[in-house]
Amino acid sequence: MIYSWKKIVRYSLPILTLTVIIELFVGQILQVGQDVLLQQLPIFLISIPVINGVGGNIGSILGAHLASGLHVGSIKLDYKDKSMNEKFLTSLVMGVSTYFFLSIGIYLMGVLGIVEMNIGFISFVFIIIATGTVLVGLVSVISVLTAFISFRKGIDPDDIVAPVVTTLGDSFGIIFLFVFIGVVIP
Amino acid sequence: MIAREMLKQSLPLLVICGIGGLIAGNTLGLMVSLFKSIPGLLVVIPGIIALRGNISTAFGSRLGSAYHLGIINAENLWNEELKQNVLGSIVLSILVTLLIGVLAYVTTVIFFDIMPNPFQLIGIVLLAGILSSALLTLLTIGIIFLVFKRGYDPDNITGPALATFGDIITMLCIFGSAIIFEVIA
Repeated sequence: MIYSWKKIVRYSLPILTLTVIIELFVGQILQVGQDVLLQQLPIFLISIPVINGVGGNIGSILGAHLASGLHVGSIKLDYKDKSMNEKFLTSLVMGVSTYFFLSIGIYLMGVLGIVEMNIGFISFVFIIIATGTVLVGLVSVISVLTAFISFRKGIDPDDIVAPVVTTLGDSFGIIFLFVFIGVVIP
Repeated sequence: MIAREMLKQSLPLLVICGIGGLIAGNTLGLMVSLFKSIPGLLVVIPGIIALRGNISTAFGSRLGSAYHLGIINAENLWNEELKQNVLGSIVLSILVTLLIGVLAYVTTVIFFDIMPNPFQLIGIVLLAGILSSALLTLLTIGIIFLVFKRGYDPDNITGPALATFGDIITMLCIFGSAIIFEVIA
């Protein structure tokens, strides 16, 4: 037998505890913005899982590709590596287009009266795309850095990149969202 | 051309996951009045969603490795290896949800001038953790069984599928247990 529940718990508990503590600070940031989210702009509340989810997914997909490329040898540990840069740019394009589609979808739900909203189309789409673009950029940079650094240190990037980028995606997604809401809505 | 392939395979999946996120977000929207009446509840949301995602995708990824190692397959699914994995995930869920509840209570008391009811807050989180853990464990085994049957590589499927279903199920479980505790109170 190779698995034992005690080992699973022992190995997972430290990283889970760490991510939970970071996520709780994210939760506290949400609580600070609670009034804005709950009273004025419920449409942004329902956007939060989407913003965070897409950011985390983009970072994980890029990380998985980088890890495979590094393992196979098709990507070199060089920040000028052509294949790495190509994947990086693809992530940005993919991220921005996904946020674009989804922002229209969310706004439509507001128009149909599924969600309460009092914000114009352009402002809403701008806030989501601006948040998404900055987030995807950050998450992709972090993904490349963690993949390269862990690989150089002899750690399998498959084990590291996903938890790192999803946790950072969650925290910075909410921070950037609040920043752009603050910029657009006086 | 790698780029085009990546775009073609991942973009549809991303949009589907985004729609899954929207369902989770809508559940959040439904909970607006609960957030107002139960201080501290909003704080636990990112933690519990991330926790569920991390535990169940790790569970799925271990089952994927077990499949590639040949110690588990469609005919020999419910064996001791799987039982250890299930037990491990459930113990982790209970321990860490308890931690989330306690830390959320403590940080809310420290940072804000509000006093959440500790039994209510920790109880909601714990109940939601146990419920979603049970449901997601069953779902993972179901997905793994179907994937084995069809001869797909579980590594391609379990990650995004569990992350998306995990968010939705977890949100519904928090919603459900918050209502249960509201009714009791």
